[in-house]
Amino acid sequence: MKAEVAATEAAAAPVSTAKATLRPWPALAAALFAAVVFLWSAPILWMLLASTRPESFGSLDMARLLPDTIPTTDQFNYAIQDGDWIIWFLNSFILVTGTLIVQLVTISLAGYAFARMEFRGKEILFYVFLFQLMLAPPVLIVPNLTTLVHLGLYDTLIGVMAPYWGSAFGTFLMRQTFRSIPRDFEEAAVIDGASWRQILWLVLLPLARPGIIAFSIVSVVFHWNEYLWPLMVLNSPENMVLTVGLVSFALGAEGASDWGLIAAGTLLVVAPLAVAFVAFQRQFVNSFMSTGIK
Amino acid sequence: MSFIKTFVGAVALTAFAGGATAAERIEFMFPAPVQGKLSREMQRIVKEYNASQDTVEVIGVFTGSYDDTKIKAQAATEAGKPPAVVLMGANFAAELAMSDLIEPISAVAPEGTNLDAFLNEFWPAVRANAKFDGQLYSIPFQNSTPILYYNKEHFAEAGISKAPETWAEWIKAAKKLTKADGERWGLMMPSNYDYNGWLVQALAMSSGGSFYNTSYPGEIYYDHASTKAALKFWRDMAHTHKAMPTGVTDSKAVSTAFFSGKSSMIVLSTGALSFVRNNAKFDYDVAFIPRNVRNSVPIGGASLVSFKGTTPEQKAAAWDFMSYLVSKEVIGGWSRFTGYFSPRKTAYDLPVMQEFVKNNPDALTAVEQLKYAGPWIATYNTVAVRKAVEDEMQALLSDEKLTIDEAAARAQKNANEVLKPYVESTALRF
Repeated sequence: MKAEVAATEAAAAPVSTAKATLRPWPALAAALFAAVVFLWSAPILWMLLASTRPESFGSLDMARLLPDTIPTTDQFNYAIQDGDWIIWFLNSFILVTGTLIVQLVTISLAGYAFARMEFRGKEILFYVFLFQLMLAPPVLIVPNLTTLVHLGLYDTLIGVMAPYWGSAFGTFLMRQTFRSIPRDFEEAAVIDGASWRQILWLVLLPLARPGIIAFSIVSVVFHWNEYLWPLMVLNSPENMVLTVGLVSFALGAEGASDWGLIAAGTLLVVAPLAVAFVAFQRQFVNSFMSTGIK
Repeated sequence: MSFIKTFVGAVALTAFAGGATAAERIEFMFPAPVQGKLSREMQRIVKEYNASQDTVEVIGVFTGSYDDTKIKAQAATEAGKPPAVVLMGANFAAELAMSDLIEPISAVAPEGTNLDAFLNEFWPAVRANAKFDGQLYSIPFQNSTPILYYNKEHFAEAGISKAPETWAEWIKAAKKLTKADGERWGLMMPSNYDYNGWLVQALAMSSGGSFYNTSYPGEIYYDHASTKAALKFWRDMAHTHKAMPTGVTDSKAVSTAFFSGKSSMIVLSTGALSFVRNNAKFDYDVAFIPRNVRNSVPIGGASLVSFKGTTPEQKAAAWDFMSYLVSKEVIGGWSRFTGYFSPRKTAYDLPVMQEFVKNNPDALTAVEQLKYAGPWIATYNTVAVRKAVEDEMQALLSDEKLTIDEAAARAQKNANEVLKPYVESTALRF
């Protein structure tokens, strides 16, 4: 997750600040940005290199950032043999999409209610909602787990998703996004005889696209990378997700660690997100800039 | 409405009918001991067990680190899904028993099982941590001790003929093996949490101490001569003899430094033996932790426990599976695969084990050191008590000006603070 955010910031920084600093010290600014970009990307560069070394460790050059060996795919082969990657990928994919789809429905409805509808206790209810943001998630592990056991959702992917279906952050974000849309659009729709459902679906949601995309990125990245909660809920190997699977490589309780293998496994895990980011980079950056999320 | 009732009834009936014929399902939670390879091997053992009989079906659940395993097992128990078998850090059993979270083994084993005879098949060194308040609460499964790994080629080059046996020899060797400017260190030891406390305990035990009160979990001996000797030895190695890097060193950095020839001696767990054997591309050997006053080390590793709240059927299943895991053949195979020593003494009577030990003399050294091993720190709130001394050890390694007396006194004070509620509700309550 950090790497993703870092990449976003590194990419966003030059776009947003280059204009302002271009005139006085263009060369210096460029050098500064290059240094920052290098700093942010160093761990990823190292990972790429470590995962393609023939030996997992043992050479003094392990910490180098310059390639000094002929790249091989050995580490990836070991990593692939070592885990049920297909199951893990599939489960992680189901987990993030299942979470996101329901979240999008709940946050746009709740966001609309808080932004546009008038009802008693609206303000208080909204602040109570926001209060959810202040709770540290580990506090809720046992109560949430108890609820899941009662509902028969222990050791299921639905159980991992369920607590996230109501998102305070998402509701807040959608409320802000809706409020920033001028009422004129809705009023025009009302004159044409649109119901509130039609207004939401045909007018507000299309205009709220940057907010929806920004939230989706945050949600997908968070749930793709989440470790503790899936570890608590899931038991069966066939329900395992990527992060929990990856940890079986990364842990070395007795002082042993296979750097190359860890690097290869980590690359496999971040690959889908990285590819998606590169493919939709412009849209991502625009969304983040227009919503003010970093 | 009536449709729903019928439906629920039908589902309940099927579930009931299914339960009557199917095998008893239990969960077995285990942390990752060293690498992915090991969790795969563990799943293989579980599969083999499931195939060997049809009354019990075990689901092997990989649960991350030792700490994550504890959190998960505890959370699942509180939520009403207690795991029947959990592989847990060997020194956590006392604390779990104290907080009434796990069953004594006598409640899991069938009535009339002679547990004393059963425990006598295990090495004496591992027995203390398995018991609490005179009762058996855990069954040792994979155990280790700290051991000295050394690079024989570096020793020959420096003209040292044998592994150091006393602290004086140890310091001399470390100084001699060190090359200037951090090109090569004489000795490296992991000082990250957990490993740190374990090694301070090992050094304190070598200095004649017992580190904590083995019969009362409310006392710890930090501001005592033996622990001070441990703190001083480690600190001096870095600051006075300059034979070890200053600051905190992670266990992974220690093994990596050894493999790359950047450190001539390292202290690591015997649990890393297979890992070192497979990856050291030079002539290495292992030796006992050198003695200050005597030879003595704490055990480490993990034991099997059963959480409270399971049904009698699940308990029976848990016992069957635990007995399988600690059977001579399985526990011996696991020991050969991982490098942990087998806590069950009798496993070494098997021809395949004798053959293995003969071919891998380093494994034999690990077993021989057991004669001098004692229990691992297990107090009230062990992790917090241990952290009190770890924080000071780390401070000593980073701050050259900090004195041993100051560090030891502060560790004692902080640990006493942690132990206070227990002490006040036990020894001081009359």
